[in-house]
Amino acid sequence: MHLVLFFPFLFGLFPDDVQVQCVLTDFLTSEKMEEAAKGKGTVTSLSSLFPVEDAQKAAKRLQDSIAERQPMLDQLGGFVADNASLINLVRRLPDHLHHDIMVPFGKAAFFPGRLVHTNEFLVLLGEGYYAERTSRQTLEILKRRGMALDSQVDSLNAMLDDLKLEASFLDATASEAAEGLVEIREDYAEETSSEKESEPGPRKQASSSSSGTDFTKVADEDEEFARIASRMDELEKEELEAENEAVSLEQTKDEFAAESYDESDEDEQVEADLHQYSDHKSLHQNVKFSEKAMSRKPPELTEDGIAANKESFTDQLSCLGLTVQPIAKVQDRSSHGNILASDVKSSSGKALVAPQVHNAQAVDLPRSQEVPLQSSKPEFDGQKAFTGSIIERTHNLRTTSREQTTTTSQSSGSQPPKPVSRFKMQRK
Amino acid sequence: MESHLQHKIQKYEEFVDGRLKPDLVRAIAQRDKVFEQQKVFSDLRNNIENLEKNSVTSLRTLVNLGSEVYMQADVPDTRRIFVDIGLGFHVEFTWSEALNYISQREEKIARQIEEYTNLIASIKAQIKLVCEGIRELLQLPAEKRAPERIF
Repeated sequence: MHLVLFFPFLFGLFPDDVQVQCVLTDFLTSEKMEEAAKGKGTVTSLSSLFPVEDAQKAAKRLQDSIAERQPMLDQLGGFVADNASLINLVRRLPDHLHHDIMVPFGKAAFFPGRLVHTNEFLVLLGEGYYAERTSRQTLEILKRRGMALDSQVDSLNAMLDDLKLEASFLDATASEAAEGLVEIREDYAEETSSEKESEPGPRKQASSSSSGTDFTKVADEDEEFARIASRMDELEKEELEAENEAVSLEQTKDEFAAESYDESDEDEQVEADLHQYSDHKSLHQNVKFSEKAMSRKPPELTEDGIAANKESFTDQLSCLGLTVQPIAKVQDRSSHGNILASDVKSSSGKALVAPQVHNAQAVDLPRSQEVPLQSSKPEFDGQKAFTGSIIERTHNLRTTSREQTTTTSQSSGSQPPKPVSRFKMQRK
Repeated sequence: MESHLQHKIQKYEEFVDGRLKPDLVRAIAQRDKVFEQQKVFSDLRNNIENLEKNSVTSLRTLVNLGSEVYMQADVPDTRRIFVDIGLGFHVEFTWSEALNYISQREEKIARQIEEYTNLIASIKAQIKLVCEGIRELLQLPAEKRAPERIF
């Protein structure tokens, strides 16, 4: 197949980019077949959506329209300058009773003469109507004209900026398409609760394999949600435990918890905001918090006493909404990777800590052992789907977010309600 | 042979599009400018003749200050007129001198217009010639002349 495709290249019959596209589509079809076998997502090359030549053509057309608006802008700028100088002149003229000037007589001749009645102006109002105005009144008219001109200039400038932005975007798209970027789309599929529970196993695989890389793929978002879900589970248990020990504080905690759920919902949709909060400090807090929440270290819990724990608990809860993204981030950092890997997976590493483990872990433990049997598919997916295209994915994410109608954004928008509703159901 | 022919045709077409047609456009634009001048001077002549006929010696007129804002201006003596003679020079004439100058100027302008018209015609002829050359190279049949009307 490759040999056949390369032959024309050797003879130089085909232009280069046709070549590249052929090879690319060849590669992509094999990828697609893999994907289809798994029944998840599609991979389309950017160049098939936006052919390189078309993108370049569009960019060129935009450049042309920019070039054709530039003279209009210059002309308007000339009008503005004329208006300013005229304002100056009109303001100055009434200073003297008369000014000696050369009175134009046609276009090619002058008479020596002088301006008289220097405080009387005849101003065109439009449509051939003129009004006799004083200097002051004329100034007002001219200033209004100036404002109209300014607004025209502003609108033209805004239009030019838009066009420039569009042109640069198209240029970027063209170059990206030429580079052979691919777009990976995966529809959000409703998962059953059993699948959800079996998630931790593959997650471990995925997260551990990606600990060194930038692992912000759309397809992973369900897994992230599952992670959040498991954390929420832990929190629930913690709460129940706390309930037993201190019933009086239950009310406030409930409120905070409810708030945090809402926050997590919102924050998921506004991912960009999260990056602001994902500084080291908050991450650290989150780490501590998750440790406590999961009661990975029971001694700390008991030593600090419930009251102290409660305070920190509420503190952390208020920033719970922020933990959604940071967790994924922190995994990338090798320093935190260790703690969080265990903490997110919630069960896989638990076997080591088993003696201290709570009832929470006790519940989770069997779950994780079921995992490989139940869902070898997602696990395979998690690793395989991204082989060899990690860099492309990040680019891809960026481009898709720039696209107008992406399934990714839709799915990310539609995902949050699910985990939340699940929790709320559990709470009730 | 075929490629050689193609190359030649391409060269001719480039000559027509890149050289002759821009030349034609430029020549027409220049002729339009001269036409404008002609109109300016004929207007001036009419105006001066008008002044002469009505023997107007003082004049009150409106001066455009720009942006269609006018102000009254007084001309105490119209018998001296400054006429643009080109290159930014203005010469003080009496009415008869001005009329004399204007008639000479109009003659010159008429000559210029004639020149430009000839130039335009020759450029058009060249374009036609090259197009015919291309047609011959392609060995297409000559264009049929529109059937002349017989009266």
